[in-house]
Amino acid sequence: MTDLPVPLPRLPVALLRRLLPRAERDEVLADIRVEYVEIAAAEGLATAKRWLWRQALGSAPALLGWNWWRGWTGFEPQANAYRPGGPMLKSWITDARYAARRLRARPTYTILSILTLALGIGGTTAVFGIARPLLFDPLPYANAKEVVTFWMPGWWNEEEFMYFRGRIPGFQAVGMHRSGDLTMRAGDGPTRLLPGRIVSAELFDVLGAHPLLGRVFRQGDDVDGAEPVAVISYGLWQELGGSASIIGRRITLDGMPRTVIGVMPRGFWFPDPSIRIWTTRPLDPQGRNGSWELVGRLAPGQTLATMQPNLDRFVSMIHERFQYGPKGDKTKEAKFTPIRERLLGKMQPAVVATFVAMGLILLIACANVAALMLGQVEGRASELAVRSALGASRGRLTQQLVVEALLVGVGAAVVGAALAAAGFRILAEALPLGAWSSSTGFDWTMFAVALLIAIFAVLLVVLVPTTSLWRGDLRGSISSARTSGIQGRGGRLERGLVVAEVALAMLIVSGAALLVRSVSKLYAINPGIETKGVAVVDVMSSREMTSVQRRQKIEEALAALDTLPGVQSSAAAMKLPLRGGGDSFNVVIEGHASDESVFTYYRVVTSDYFRTLGIKLRDGRLFDNSDQPADSGGSVIINETFAKKHFPGENPIGRRLTGGFSGTWQVIGVVANVAEGALTDDEEATSYYLAGQAPMFEHQASIVVRTSRANAASVLEDARRTVNRVAPAFAIQETTTMSRILDEAVGPARQMMMLLTLLSALAMVLGAIGIYGVISHFAARRKRDWAIRVALGLPTSRVIRQIVSQGAALVAVGVVIGVLGTIALARLLTSFLFGVGTVDPISFAAASAVLLLIGVVAAFIPARRASTVDPALVLREQ
Amino acid sequence: MTNDPLTPLGVLEEQVLVAVLRTRGDAYGMEVRREIEQVTGRDLAIGAVYATLDRLEQKKLLTSRRTHGAGPSRRLFELSARGARALAETREMRDRLWRGVDLEAILQLRVLRTSY
Repeated sequence: MTDLPVPLPRLPVALLRRLLPRAERDEVLADIRVEYVEIAAAEGLATAKRWLWRQALGSAPALLGWNWWRGWTGFEPQANAYRPGGPMLKSWITDARYAARRLRARPTYTILSILTLALGIGGTTAVFGIARPLLFDPLPYANAKEVVTFWMPGWWNEEEFMYFRGRIPGFQAVGMHRSGDLTMRAGDGPTRLLPGRIVSAELFDVLGAHPLLGRVFRQGDDVDGAEPVAVISYGLWQELGGSASIIGRRITLDGMPRTVIGVMPRGFWFPDPSIRIWTTRPLDPQGRNGSWELVGRLAPGQTLATMQPNLDRFVSMIHERFQYGPKGDKTKEAKFTPIRERLLGKMQPAVVATFVAMGLILLIACANVAALMLGQVEGRASELAVRSALGASRGRLTQQLVVEALLVGVGAAVVGAALAAAGFRILAEALPLGAWSSSTGFDWTMFAVALLIAIFAVLLVVLVPTTSLWRGDLRGSISSARTSGIQGRGGRLERGLVVAEVALAMLIVSGAALLVRSVSKLYAINPGIETKGVAVVDVMSSREMTSVQRRQKIEEALAALDTLPGVQSSAAAMKLPLRGGGDSFNVVIEGHASDESVFTYYRVVTSDYFRTLGIKLRDGRLFDNSDQPADSGGSVIINETFAKKHFPGENPIGRRLTGGFSGTWQVIGVVANVAEGALTDDEEATSYYLAGQAPMFEHQASIVVRTSRANAASVLEDARRTVNRVAPAFAIQETTTMSRILDEAVGPARQMMMLLTLLSALAMVLGAIGIYGVISHFAARRKRDWAIRVALGLPTSRVIRQIVSQGAALVAVGVVIGVLGTIALARLLTSFLFGVGTVDPISFAAASAVLLLIGVVAAFIPARRASTVDPALVLREQ
Repeated sequence: MTNDPLTPLGVLEEQVLVAVLRTRGDAYGMEVRREIEQVTGRDLAIGAVYATLDRLEQKKLLTSRRTHGAGPSRRLFELSARGARALAETREMRDRLWRGVDLEAILQLRVLRTSY
């Protein structure tokens, strides 16, 4: 039958051969051959081939199931009594079955290992989902390595740019951009805000970004008389209908029609994913408004390393042309920064720190499961020894452990994926991602990653018990098993794992402690305002409104807001404290030398501003009804720093300032210092001007409302509706509260603290489980030992003390190692720390105390159990 | 036997059991497959047949033994008493189900409708 003339296609036969049980393989294949030949003779070779393929592929699922079933049930047909031939992978299937039975029989061990591992995997996966776009994904620009940003972002002006445009050495092109949010009003709906950027015509060429539809800006789009045009993001395009006819259509932005010339592809962003529209504006060669950022593409062959001579030439070029005061001197600290660092750099430390913390937790989890499994292996020493004595090879015994670990790993992957999905959402909110939170995404690749990590971790875990299997003298354990192993093996590996676990936990806990300390110091700073009970509505008006119209509308809105229940006062300002930076100019004090100009931040506010924010008056008076609107000049209020710096030993009240806004300004009052910029900024001279006397020239304004309600946020909805009703031309940018602004000013450190605190809780739970597991296993193994001592009169308190001190010693060693590690790793947190060094004894002491306490508690439970057993019972039972 | 959890048999199980009977003492896997295929006209994979045969043997509805003679050794199947009972039971259950059901009327109606 073997030498039939018709050859069978090899592949399907091989497939069947693999899948059929050995005992029946030959007969089935022989029958198939016969039938194949018959079909070939009757209906032709092609039909026969098709038939064979159908048989092989159609059989595969059934045979796989059958194999598994035979292995699982151990079923062997009667007919095969004298020629047993189990299914393929029989030993693996039996092992899986055995492992599943063992795991079911030890629910605590199973649940603890699966949960521990799942926490590690889930957490790491969740962090990976966030870290991926920030750390690993390429930027949506061609050859992003060639794109660099200039120093002093947000300080360049149009005059400078027009001067050196196209002449900067070493660059293919340099473009410029600044914030340029727009309002859009569609139909009768309220005015909407579109986050946008104003860019110079060459910007998209610098980025090497191509549109999905239409074109990007080109030369001539940013000169006087050019048609107003806009490029929109994919998301905005979808919102506007997503049809190709958008190109050339006019949309009304800021009350002015603009032609849409291009749509950027999905996934394009610049400079962050919240931006939805890019526009150009005629650039003014005399424009002194310095709020632009520069970005350039290096000329071919240039790298950041070779740019130094070009940078020097460029600096001397601007040095020749422009004069700078001490603030904003662009000839100082000149350098180029890779665009990736500029755009993503701020988030990177947070993400990296979280990534590291999560990796540590995964390590702790692995150590934990390894310790748990090790306990299991030791408990099974006699079983393994008997099996090895009966002829089981070490490979076979290892295989069984591997299968058990894989089952745990699969369970952990499933639970971990669920945890990752949940954890991802928590992390996305907790991390200081800002506009980036929208670009991170939980997806199925993450599940694959979780699975890979689980399997990798599990194999890692298996290595540990297996090495002890190789090393240990199995036959010796039979004899010691009979006497129940009064002096079992040292368990050095197990103890080592606990020490490592504690050390890793120490890293996270002390990191969290450092942040807790620095955040509490940040909150202890007095920002100079009363943040409680103040609601904030940020509004934006379209650009075609004059500053007088804008002020009138704002005042109407304020009057309406004052009538709301619970509202005590309301005010508006062009910029609120704690939100960083702000406008500044130089003024001249009458009576001082005229060349001695004074740098001051300035704020244009309405009359109730100080009362509403709770800013204290130190001298003179606040704005009142005697301060009437004027075309030029009027009253000004200065802060304490201004007074101290520029009127030392003098009374500033009644003195006059010129410069800045036109006219002469009389100082009428001095108020307490307020953290106008960032919370931790040095105090700067600041002057406050009354809206109406000074123009509210910015189209953005913040309305603040002080309320008597316990929760300032509860007034927000009313306030929003009121503003929408009274001034429908204002787009509401954001509604928030002053407390939230303070939280934001405390900034990433606060979010990192919350996150690391969460993670340290996790690390501590895992550490406690590890200590508990190891100590209870020690205690159980020496049960007989303790029983004899108790029978001989050892007081139970001594038993407890000895066992607990064993646990405490492990923790102490781990803590010491952990402190050393923390000193090395705390550098990661430097950018979040305020007022504490990376080596902070108080933080370390607190973290050590917490971990020691947890170790003692975790060891106490098994200790107590060991001390309460009846020695007579133990001795009899063994 | 009316409460035997083995009945009613699955469709493939029933077909396999009947095919074992029909092949009369020559019931090995491939032959059973061929028998079912010929009678039902349905393409059947050998793997599915073997898996079913094994399952039926485990349930003790079939017994298997090996032939020793010329040609390759084969696993031959025979219906056990229990298997025969299960078949009878399944068939009886089906007959009970069909009692008093008149499909003809509906089929006739269909024929009438489609002919218009």
